[in-house]
Amino acid sequence: MDREAARITIFFCQQVDSEQETNRRAIERELGDRIRFFPLPCSGRIDTLQLLRAIEAGADIVYLVTCSRGACRYREGNIRAWKRSAYARRLIEEIGLEGERLEVIQANERQTIDEITRSLLTRDIHVGPSPLRAK
Amino acid sequence: MITAERKPLAEIKAMIAPYSKILLAGCGTCVAECASGGEKEVSLLASQLRMDARMEGREIEIKEITLDRQCVYEFIDQLTSLIDQYDVVLSLGCGAGVQAVAEVFQKVIVLPGLNTTFIGETKEAGIWFENCRACGDCKLGLFAAVCPITRCAKGLLNGPCGGSKGEHCEVDVDTPCAWQLIVTRLEERGRLDFLEQVHPPVDWSKSQGKGPRKILREDQKN
Repeated sequence: MDREAARITIFFCQQVDSEQETNRRAIERELGDRIRFFPLPCSGRIDTLQLLRAIEAGADIVYLVTCSRGACRYREGNIRAWKRSAYARRLIEEIGLEGERLEVIQANERQTIDEITRSLLTRDIHVGPSPLRAK
Repeated sequence: MITAERKPLAEIKAMIAPYSKILLAGCGTCVAECASGGEKEVSLLASQLRMDARMEGREIEIKEITLDRQCVYEFIDQLTSLIDQYDVVLSLGCGAGVQAVAEVFQKVIVLPGLNTTFIGETKEAGIWFENCRACGDCKLGLFAAVCPITRCAKGLLNGPCGGSKGEHCEVDVDTPCAWQLIVTRLEERGRLDFLEQVHPPVDWSKSQGKGPRKILREDQKN
């Protein structure tokens, strides 16, 4: 689908960017309701249900941004996040949605959330508009 | 704890296909502990079913509720004020819960969303092991609290069979040999003399030999 039209939800670990409040607001102002951010104290706080609800709410793509492997402040929060995301992917695939709609992104050190987001926004999107939004 | 696993979505969809108003009832006890039928799993399944229906252009209404225990009347009674508003109850309780709800609401269709699996323990987060067959004649005191009926693939009371390899079962190499555990524990506890007992064949009449079992306690009755 046209990446300019994609509705994107981003769950992210606040530890990735200490200035996340300011940095994400700039993109929110720019993109309006095309983008929704959900800061988490640690990506390990994510629950499978939150990912499913984001898809149910009509997001075309849901990203879960974690610290890089081995860099989690709480040791294994990002590993748990990855496992829950994998389970959520299985659940959406069970109803016929593409697993690619849920993706875990490992942030590089020193990347801010707006930099990460802008990089995600330039990606090609290989799935169509969410059938949950269209109907 | 009674463990269970959620049925495949296709099977659940086929069961509920004729209905559009669904009361999705979880249980907050055993199946919540094994992450198959508690409040969270009710929400996950409800979300999946709602999305699935929207994608197929079907109308569906799902009410989510999780009872503290789905096998006890006092808790099932929470459904009384709701049940007439729905076409069907989809239960995420164990088999006992499904049957208890159906027993209380005799005209209501109650469908199982789980496959009840075994009585077991939470070994660690995300891992559950079967360790009790509810045989009705517990002999754990003789076997250092390791049940040979459940945990020995051959159910031997007079073991070991001699086929274990590296302290693991020859039937399943991932399963510790129950008799290795029994002998090791008895040795640690200074009770190897227990191994000298010869056990007669199990009296299965205390299990399910006479159909479903029943416990009667006059002191507990109303």
